[in-house]
Amino acid sequence: MSYTHAPTTAALLRSLVPVMCPAIALPLADAIVDHVGLTMGALPTQFRRALVTGIYGYDTLAIAWGPGGRRRAHRLPPSLAEAYYLSWEHGPTPAHQQLAKGVGQLIKLACYEHPTMQAALGYTPTPWIEQVKQRRLATYRGDIERHDASLIAPDPLRPPIAKTSAKERA
Amino acid sequence: MVALPRAAVRQDRIPAGVTTRDAIHGDLVWDADVVIAGSGAGGATLAAELAECGLDVVIVEEGRYYTTRDFTADASAAVRALYRDGGATMALGDPPVLFQEGRAVGGSTVINGGMSWRTPERILDRWGREAGVDGVRPADMEPYFARVERRIHVAYQDPESIGTDNHLLKRGADAMGWKVIPNLRNQVHCPGSNNCAFGCPTGAKQSALVSYIPRALHFGARLLSDVRVERILFDGKRATGLTGSVVGADGEPSHRVTVRAKLTVAACGAIQTPALLARSGVRSPSGRIGHNLSLHPNVKLTAVFDQPVRGWEGVHQAYQVREFEGEGLLFAAVNIPPGILAMTSHPRGEELHRMMSDYDRTVVAGMLCEDTATGRVRTLGGRPQAFYQLADFDADKLVRGVALLSELLFAAGARRIATPFAGVPELHRAEDTRLLYAHKIPKRAMEVVTVHMMGTAAMGSDRTRAVTDSYGAVHDADRLMVCDASLFPTPIGVNPMETIMALATRAAARVLDTWQA
Repeated sequence: MSYTHAPTTAALLRSLVPVMCPAIALPLADAIVDHVGLTMGALPTQFRRALVTGIYGYDTLAIAWGPGGRRRAHRLPPSLAEAYYLSWEHGPTPAHQQLAKGVGQLIKLACYEHPTMQAALGYTPTPWIEQVKQRRLATYRGDIERHDASLIAPDPLRPPIAKTSAKERA
Repeated sequence: MVALPRAAVRQDRIPAGVTTRDAIHGDLVWDADVVIAGSGAGGATLAAELAECGLDVVIVEEGRYYTTRDFTADASAAVRALYRDGGATMALGDPPVLFQEGRAVGGSTVINGGMSWRTPERILDRWGREAGVDGVRPADMEPYFARVERRIHVAYQDPESIGTDNHLLKRGADAMGWKVIPNLRNQVHCPGSNNCAFGCPTGAKQSALVSYIPRALHFGARLLSDVRVERILFDGKRATGLTGSVVGADGEPSHRVTVRAKLTVAACGAIQTPALLARSGVRSPSGRIGHNLSLHPNVKLTAVFDQPVRGWEGVHQAYQVREFEGEGLLFAAVNIPPGILAMTSHPRGEELHRMMSDYDRTVVAGMLCEDTATGRVRTLGGRPQAFYQLADFDADKLVRGVALLSELLFAAGARRIATPFAGVPELHRAEDTRLLYAHKIPKRAMEVVTVHMMGTAAMGSDRTRAVTDSYGAVHDADRLMVCDASLFPTPIGVNPMETIMALATRAAARVLDTWQA
């Protein structure tokens, strides 16, 4: 799906990176915001539109939030951005709460899917997968080939029915 | 690379017989004996059995055809590609339940954990006794289970594939004196890459993509991928095929595709099948299309150990703790990648990173809960929307399950455990599990997920209570079948893939026994 953040959506998401992610991830903020865009691109269109609308509402309603000094959310400094996020996370309606939770989840996913963050955790699945894949083929080649052959070996559930011709089907 | 015997089972290219959107340049009309919407556990199995016996079968799948080579450890890319709606599918209720459906050739078998268990005998007995399903006594089902197990190579894991997380789970169960059993999985020497939920990168997991689909193609079935089925065609009450649209890379519909057939089968899973029936104007005398949704609610907890765990090194769910099976609770170790663990965890910021910094010493464990509530799939604007209200009884069972599983993990040496309940502090010793009972945990604080959706077009001989007959033929329609987990009259308390495949095999036998060209 093709989806690109509008500038204010990207700015709002970037302002939430320090709220949702640890300090070590802050240099990755642009990549995190881009990853959120990829995830949003996979959402069904109506859902994505609703989410974008919710993000817009989150951003603009900050103007009416007393401590914010009539600024939109993406212009809040990190300490106020966190307080504003909390006001939604524990907000008055399930819609407030779900929006905050959902946006937060997208950012947390993006943060820990980033290779730099995964390397920092010592998470190295690709070499492991390659190692065990090769070991499997080296150790069990015969069994694998026998099973693959069985997948196309005749074993009918019932006696075959005479094939209908294309002409008959038509 | 192992030299595989025939192109149909090669894992590195799209085989003959598959038509993808790249090869469809205009509207398409095909004829067949049987057309099947969906290529997962039900659709692929039925297709292979019918094609081998001489029927001309067309499978229509909304998702793409991926090969084993496409599957990597990039979890979020896999979720975007292989999961419906990027994995953001949710049953609305208190709490909302996040669920996952595969959308790819092979359906959810491409992204499941590969657990292959027969339907428990108590469930089959219940289906016969309470739901009036004929021909599902354990002895009736035995040959179908055996046939499926042979085809998808159901086996225990090789010992060297079992990782530390599973050894710790077993150690804890043994210390508690609880019943723990090795898991049966559809795999050929699975080496334990623990990437099951994102497509098996070794080809060891015998998903429909690498077992029944190649078999169906080998015996002449044709497969249309990237085609979203919109409705079933009818001539009066007689189903005459399917129609839908090619789904472009941008997700938008393009060319129309119609497959006319003597038998039409909905095998789209328990969320999509009732929506397809509803969109097509099918009215059940029972009024039960979309009702009776059960989904084995599942919660996960994370336990940190002193020793390295490296949960990604070793097979997914080598063991199941069956001590509380009678209460409808199964426990297993279910490692998940960092991004998804972070996403589904309550902390954020530095607190989240403290938790994530222990990722390589963390066991993620989860449970399957046999639920007592039922929800509903409604069709709104042509799209299915699931609604499900977790029953108080089941919520209490989840709390009890988390407490029991925490005790097990502490017995295995866990230092601290994060629960799936917002607002509940970390547990640091087995005695802390009492905290879970100190106050009623609100359902909205529970992080509940599932991959087992069942029951929305339930089978049974009584047309006033069931959507289909005992073999999946839709009551009050002609030549229209359902062949997926929608058929289950009740939840089954174990992983559903083998039950779906066995029922599909049984349905194939029924079709062949009654086929009239």
